[in-house]
Amino acid sequence: MTSRAHLILGLVALALAVLAAFLWIPLDTDSGLLETVRRRVSIGDALAPTIAAAFIGLGGFSLILFEGSEGDSVVPSRENMFRIFALTGIVVLAILIMRWAGPVTLGAEEYRLLRATPPWSWLGFLIGGALLVTALVAGIERRLSFRAVFVGVGWSIALILLFDLPFEDLLLPPNGDV
Amino acid sequence: MSVFDYILAGIAAVFAGPEIAFLGLELPATPLMVLFGFLLGIMVGATPGLAAPMAMAVALPLLISSFGFNPDALLPVMGFLIGVMKGGTLGGSVPAILFNTPGTPDAYMTSLDGHPMAQAGQSGRALRIAHFSSASGDTFSDIVLILCAPFLAVMVEMYLDLPEKTALLLLSLAFIAAVIGGSMGKGLISTGLGLLAAYVGTGEDFYPRLSFGTQELSQGFPITTAVLGVLILGEVFKGLEDEWQRRGTEGKRTDISATGRQRLSRADLSRIAPFIARSAFIGTAIGALPGVGSTLAATLGYTVGRNRHRQRSPDRTPFGQGAPEGIAATEAANSSVSGANLIPVLSLGIPGNAAAVFLILAAESIGGFNPGPSVFRFTEEPNPELIIAFGLFTAMMMANLLNWSIGGVFMRATGVMIRIPRHILLPCVLLLTLTAIYVQETRMAAIWMAVGFGLLGYFMRRIGMSPLPFVIAFILGAKLEETARQAFAATGGNPFFLFSSATSVVLMAAMVATVFFSIRRTRP
Repeated sequence: MTSRAHLILGLVALALAVLAAFLWIPLDTDSGLLETVRRRVSIGDALAPTIAAAFIGLGGFSLILFEGSEGDSVVPSRENMFRIFALTGIVVLAILIMRWAGPVTLGAEEYRLLRATPPWSWLGFLIGGALLVTALVAGIERRLSFRAVFVGVGWSIALILLFDLPFEDLLLPPNGDV
Repeated sequence: MSVFDYILAGIAAVFAGPEIAFLGLELPATPLMVLFGFLLGIMVGATPGLAAPMAMAVALPLLISSFGFNPDALLPVMGFLIGVMKGGTLGGSVPAILFNTPGTPDAYMTSLDGHPMAQAGQSGRALRIAHFSSASGDTFSDIVLILCAPFLAVMVEMYLDLPEKTALLLLSLAFIAAVIGGSMGKGLISTGLGLLAAYVGTGEDFYPRLSFGTQELSQGFPITTAVLGVLILGEVFKGLEDEWQRRGTEGKRTDISATGRQRLSRADLSRIAPFIARSAFIGTAIGALPGVGSTLAATLGYTVGRNRHRQRSPDRTPFGQGAPEGIAATEAANSSVSGANLIPVLSLGIPGNAAAVFLILAAESIGGFNPGPSVFRFTEEPNPELIIAFGLFTAMMMANLLNWSIGGVFMRATGVMIRIPRHILLPCVLLLTLTAIYVQETRMAAIWMAVGFGLLGYFMRRIGMSPLPFVIAFILGAKLEETARQAFAATGGNPFFLFSSATSVVLMAAMVATVFFSIRRTRP
């Protein structure tokens, strides 16, 4: 651990606490720390979030002033950031495909009518889910293998069998939104 | 009703609830669910990359859909979760002993002596020692829970009023921030973030606070998205990133073959018994403190056992080189945390670890049971919550019986779980978790929020900040505010209500002392 990591984390926490306490919370709550209604004083909606911000600020102070060269924290490296954004990109893309595969294939109105009717109700989940698993496995292995596709499709079907078939009241994504 | 009547009613509730058709017979659901949960927990614990809270998180919506939102569902659902919790602790030692790959973080110490024993052809004996020690520690811890939780809860209800309860919640949050992760600063930040997230879209005003005027945030963050996002998805994202870096290459594993006597003899048992007893005490004492996890218990149990072993038996195999006493000291300590961790949950309503978080989540989702001091009201008229509490104790003892009877056999059969490649397992867990979140919330916004919380959990782990204070603060946030509002009103708007009695002053002083000493401890 370098003291730089604690300093950066402490400063970020302090900045977040100051922004929250003096900007976000006052501007985004209707009542203050305390409010008076019919001459009776009660705790306002801003008090609890302000205490939360105080926790964050106190933590930042503690890191900067008292824990400068202790601990095991590190600043995520550029490689870490690249990899996590690539992974997040795959996840976001797969969720978007999961959301829109059905409406785009069948048309929004048609899909809405069929969203509780198998196999149409599985369309988005199967395509998006299979893509999510396959793409992540392939990305990690740096090659698209039959195994990755098999696991992706197989696991999505297994989840359909687990969540959708036995339970009439459960809706697979994205069927509650369309 | 007398205490004895409540105990009997709790036991009866376990057998009188909903029934399940199993092998052609209509059987009471709760004992069966404890069994299924226990077996699943062992499998999950034995799989590196998975953990009991993951299985609990994913199982919850399925269980609630199966049993419905009514008080009858509480015992089967929570019985299953208790089974998973106990099985998970036991299963974690399997890959630690056989493959030097701890299935759970607290099983790391087990691998120090378990794997050398396995390499020496003593894998069966090492697994049996782990099982015996784990089951002993677990049973001891449950007995302490059953004896202490009601007593503590009654004391809390008797002596703590609203200002004191507010002070106690603040003290708990400060304590959790101080002890988890080893850095006061990071603990406080994690706690503050959890509280801040809990207050989004809530409040008493007409306008949902901190919602930026958006429809999505006006309902607040659903508890499942925050908890599963930070705890499960954060862990999955970090695991995926690690695998991405390693290109999914698995380390080479050598198959272990067993030679010679594998069963435990009476001499073995008398040799490890003092280590089990000592570690069970340590684990139970540590587990009773909210937020202090089984990893610390395992480390302390192991360290104390090693020192004792060095002094008393210098001629025997030393710790770290295949000493049976090392496995016993570790497994008894980490297993005795699980029961004791429920003491703050049942007596104070404060979750002490991730598994307890999911028990509270189940209780909140189903309704009819609010873990906390009010549960233990021994009234003349039947108190349904107290009957449920004794039903839970019964379910825990059932899980212990299963642990003693079939746990060892099943545990030794799960060595095969290590062969599932982690880089294939993690994407499957990701899809499973997202699906579990969606079926509970039924809106895509919940999935986006969960991914956001997952990224938060990832960065927390990356910078060495524990996500557990975040989760516990998120769960306690609403309760803290509500209690403070009531205390403020009850004291006639006294701004110093936290210092209105000697007890609350002591609790607040303890909070300040916790922060002060924790900072001093981490100061260079």
